[in-house]
Amino acid sequence: MFLINCPYCGERDQSEFSAGGEAHIIRPKQPTELSDDQWAEFLFMRKNIKGVQLERWNHAHGCRKWFNMVRDTSNDKIHAVYKMGEKPPIK
Amino acid sequence: MLNYNSPIMNAKDYSGIKISEVEPIIKINLRGKNRDFITKIGKELSIIPPTDSNTSSGNEKLNILWLSPDEWLVYSNDKIDLKNNNSLEDRLFDQISKVKLGSVANVTDHWVMINLKGDNVFELLSSGCPFNFNDFKNSKGAVTQTLLNHVDVIIHNKNINDLNLFVRRSFSNHLWSWMNDSARFI
Repeated sequence: MFLINCPYCGERDQSEFSAGGEAHIIRPKQPTELSDDQWAEFLFMRKNIKGVQLERWNHAHGCRKWFNMVRDTSNDKIHAVYKMGEKPPIK
Repeated sequence: MLNYNSPIMNAKDYSGIKISEVEPIIKINLRGKNRDFITKIGKELSIIPPTDSNTSSGNEKLNILWLSPDEWLVYSNDKIDLKNNNSLEDRLFDQISKVKLGSVANVTDHWVMINLKGDNVFELLSSGCPFNFNDFKNSKGAVTQTLLNHVDVIIHNKNINDLNLFVRRSFSNHLWSWMNDSARFI
């Protein structure tokens, strides 16, 4: 259980949010030209790291907006939240 | 519009809490992004949709609640005859949806409005809600969307200890039962 600072609504409980997985995964420009392995790589393979990760989250029970988050997966410390389309404030 | 059947049709009085369903009132969902959309809504309703998060604006007839940066809920203060009162929806539809400024959806049957009054309303809400009401309860006109007993709700702080709570119709009976059950122990 932790608090998330929604960029639109402010600080809310984690139970109002849904996690959307790793952020900034670029969709291939020509999916039809990819092999099955390359397509599966884009579709399913995620880093799942222990440490600071860039993630997508959705305020599902609030404003229903998607946003990005920099979160340490080992201790749930949130380093930053930023809107969709913005660049990550931390590398 | 089809015949409107109220799902609850009840009012209860507990120590420091009065709960009642307020229906039928008109509810309209508005979605749009650009400046023309906001201006048009302001002209039609004589209320500017609030752009600050978790706030509302209103006059003696209507309220507009901020739901997200591009979404608002309009509802009427007074009960109305829904069979003979689609003029607001029609007017907004003509001015906004038809000219593709945004979307107008009549959600009168989608949401059920429950009014909560009394000194203990926030005690009741806090018993099943993850939201921190400390600042909310002192700011008149504040709006929040959150979970109450795992059910999505919109809460409008109309006045001090006087709230309007919107719940989806299919969840309304369940939430009504939960609120009555919880209110007995406060």
